[in-house]
Amino acid sequence: MSALLEVRGLAKRFGGLVATDGLNLDVASGEIHALIGPNGAGKTTAIGQIAGEIRPDAGTIHLAGQDITRLGVPARVRAGMTRSFQITQVLMNASALANVALVEQVRQGHSFRLWRPAARDERLLAPARAMLERVGLGARADVAAEDLSHGERRQLELAMALATNPRLLLLDEPMAGLGTTESAAMTVLLAALKQEVSILLVEHDMDAVFALADRITVLEGGRVIAHGTPAAIRADAAVRDAYLGAA
Amino acid sequence: MRESPRQIFVLVASFALLAALPWIAGAVGRPDLVTLGSQACVMAIAAASLDLLMGRTGLPSFGHAAWLGLGAYTVGILAFHARDLGPPWDQWAVQAWAVWPLAVLVPAALAAVIGALCLRTSGISFIMITLAFAQMFFFLFVALKTYGGDDGLTLRRRSTIPGIAPRDDVAFFYVCLTALVLVLLLLRRVAASRFGTVLDGIRQNERRMMAIGLSPFPYKLAAFVLSAGIAGLAGALHVNLFRFASPDLLHWTMSGELMVMVVLGGLGSLWGAMFGAAAMVVLHAVLAQWTEHWQIVLGPILVAVVLLARRGLWGALGGK
Amino acid sequence: MTLLLEQLLNGLQFGVMLFLMAAGLTLVFGIMGLINLAHGSLYMIGAYAAAWATLQTGSFVLGLLAGLSAAAVLGMALEAVILRRLYARDHLDQVLATFGVILFCNEAVAMIFGRQPLMAGPPPWLSGAVEIVPGVPYPVYRLAIIATGLLVAAGLYVLISRTRIGMLVRAGATHRELVGALGVRIGLLYTAVFGLGALLAGLAGALTGPLLAVQVGMGERILITTFVVIVIGGLGSIRGALAGAMLVGMVDTLTRGFLPATLRAVLPASEADALGAGLSSMAVFILMAIVLLWRPRGLFPAHA
Ligand SMILES: Nc1ncnc2c1ncn2[C@@H]1O[C@H](COP(=O)(O)OP(=O)(O)OP(=O)(O)O)[C@@H](O)[C@H]1O
Ligand SMILES: [Mg+2]
Repeated sequence: MSALLEVRGLAKRFGGLVATDGLNLDVASGEIHALIGPNGAGKTTAIGQIAGEIRPDAGTIHLAGQDITRLGVPARVRAGMTRSFQITQVLMNASALANVALVEQVRQGHSFRLWRPAARDERLLAPARAMLERVGLGARADVAAEDLSHGERRQLELAMALATNPRLLLLDEPMAGLGTTESAAMTVLLAALKQEVSILLVEHDMDAVFALADRITVLEGGRVIAHGTPAAIRADAAVRDAYLGAA
Repeated sequence: MRESPRQIFVLVASFALLAALPWIAGAVGRPDLVTLGSQACVMAIAAASLDLLMGRTGLPSFGHAAWLGLGAYTVGILAFHARDLGPPWDQWAVQAWAVWPLAVLVPAALAAVIGALCLRTSGISFIMITLAFAQMFFFLFVALKTYGGDDGLTLRRRSTIPGIAPRDDVAFFYVCLTALVLVLLLLRRVAASRFGTVLDGIRQNERRMMAIGLSPFPYKLAAFVLSAGIAGLAGALHVNLFRFASPDLLHWTMSGELMVMVVLGGLGSLWGAMFGAAAMVVLHAVLAQWTEHWQIVLGPILVAVVLLARRGLWGALGGK
Repeated sequence: MTLLLEQLLNGLQFGVMLFLMAAGLTLVFGIMGLINLAHGSLYMIGAYAAAWATLQTGSFVLGLLAGLSAAAVLGMALEAVILRRLYARDHLDQVLATFGVILFCNEAVAMIFGRQPLMAGPPPWLSGAVEIVPGVPYPVYRLAIIATGLLVAAGLYVLISRTRIGMLVRAGATHRELVGALGVRIGLLYTAVFGLGALLAGLAGALTGPLLAVQVGMGERILITTFVVIVIGGLGSIRGALAGAMLVGMVDTLTRGFLPATLRAVLPASEADALGAGLSSMAVFILMAIVLLWRPRGLFPAHA
């Protein structure tokens, strides 16, 4: 079986600090694969390299059999993979709807149109509205992103990633800063997504991780210290020492 | 991009005032006001084109004067050679319909090359490198003795526009005003288009734009080229207005003044650039009348504007 | 051959001047994140104060001291009154405000000293020439400039590599880290760093004065060349400033020295001179374009 995402021997140093140390990782089609580890374990750095923002020192990355190690971020998105950010990155001056419509526009690939107004273009707005409904922001479509609550912005962040129509989503702490009820809602949402998109999920919320993940990889100091099913990880002594015990 | 009622009122009033300027100038016995009005329109076109880069795309170019100057010299140099050319070229080289488009295309083409280089950098390096390349063109025209060197190049008569007498300053004022209105409408249209939306996104969060699959470079370059072309048009009008092109038009202080106009008017507000340009042109005229050392007043005004009035004239109008 | 040696030394001398300018500018940028267009004005102020004091007192040394102190004192005043408010602003604000400062300084100098250039040659004890190799005389004054510049470069090297502040700077310390390491006197440190940059600019101005006409506008000419140096060398890096300054100094001097003569071989003399002058003033910009194509962040990018 060839996995959807195959990471082999990924390595990255920042000066003297080894942030990623020979990382091997597979995400199968239709899987939610959780990447967990203590603060500073190198999770965000790994996502950054897979997404193409950070150039790895060594290693290869394949998406559906295609070598994407040397592609830039936009090209990887077009190849079917995008990320969300641990720290929300949305266009603050624009409405939620405009944010998603912009993604729709980029996906449709017609951004060199200089004449027709974009803000009333139903070919962009209709799918964008549908996407906002899906993540539960339908009622807040016309609110400017800067006026949305933190939780709503996290939903918008997810909607934007989803609107690129990816086969693989890289989610960096989608629950960061959410309250318990909001987290639960997000968990339900992600579980529903599983039908159509594979997910590499970085998350500190262990309830969510164990509820969602098919497999878990545990990082510490940039190295994989364990990987397996949630049950196996829960039982793993090394993980307990490094991480779960401390949490 | 919705204007507030107060802003719309001021816009309408300003254009009405501009349209009536020749009558007002006649009534108060100051025909020189017409030239001042033309100059304000021309600088407003240049400033609005720079706002597309600075305000909309988030690219603070410190070399915009280069495109203004190149547009002016394109018209000037073609007219200079007109008599050496055989028919029908000798006629075409002084016709506005033939020469002005070239004054747009030449800067735009050069901007495609220079822009591709400058856009390899970002932030402060981008400011420095645009400044440096513009200064390169400045030195080039200073050295071109054929075209007057640092004395500049005189245009013997204005580009021919059918139905308009070349010496008619009032008619030429209306040409400038029409050009300004058309440029502003074009830029407003572009700002609201899909292309403009992308530029907005690049300014606000380039990282996010890449993460949704957009390669920013071609859009930034397109904005750079478009804004250079429009500045070239302003240059063509400028050389016609004063029948004179000089390297001063490409000097870095001109680039600086254009930036000031944009910020004074209100960064990214499009209409604001017009008010910023008008304010600077009038301020120049008033201060220069008052003292030869007018820059000693202008400098502190600039510092104060930056430190105290960030939203610019247009933003102040918008209230909020 | 003789000519080449002479031009190489001229290039070195210009490079040293550019380094004095670039070092201050890049230091201020590296530590405070400030881009200061008025750096050229401090150079001009140094040159004017030195030339004026030399003409008044007849003493080159007093002139030099006047140039240094004028630039340093006015520089620190400028920092305290205006620039300090700009550290947290974006680069565009910094550029515009310091652009306003330039307009003010240029006009103020023109009002005080008039538009006529000031001329004060080198002092008698630095005039004349020595034979650097048999048969090749070279002006003592230019040699003195080269020596001073290299001395300053060595001093900066010690400052950056041996002192605690230098280490922090080299490591690309953020504002917060600097506060943590130095306590609340960070404002004092900033003023001192700015004063050092201003001092270097004033030194460059005071030393260059005797070689050329001291006039309004001299600051911006060298400022823009300094920008080229910094873009080539890599923003925020002293090592890059040194490398860039030497490269630009050499290329500029050598093209000016040899290009017109080369062109004369194929063109009439007057045209060759004009074109040669134009092309050589473009040479450093073309150099910058080439470096950027190859290394967009410069030769020695800081904290890469
Ligand atoms: N650009 C950088 N330069 C230097 N060090 C970095 C850089 N980015 C990350 N690091 C370091 O690399 C290590 C891994 O960081 P990373 O952000 O990947 O951790 P993480 O697992 O995502 O942590 P968290 O759970 O807190 O988000 C940390 O020690 C961090 O300080
Ligand atoms: Mg992280």
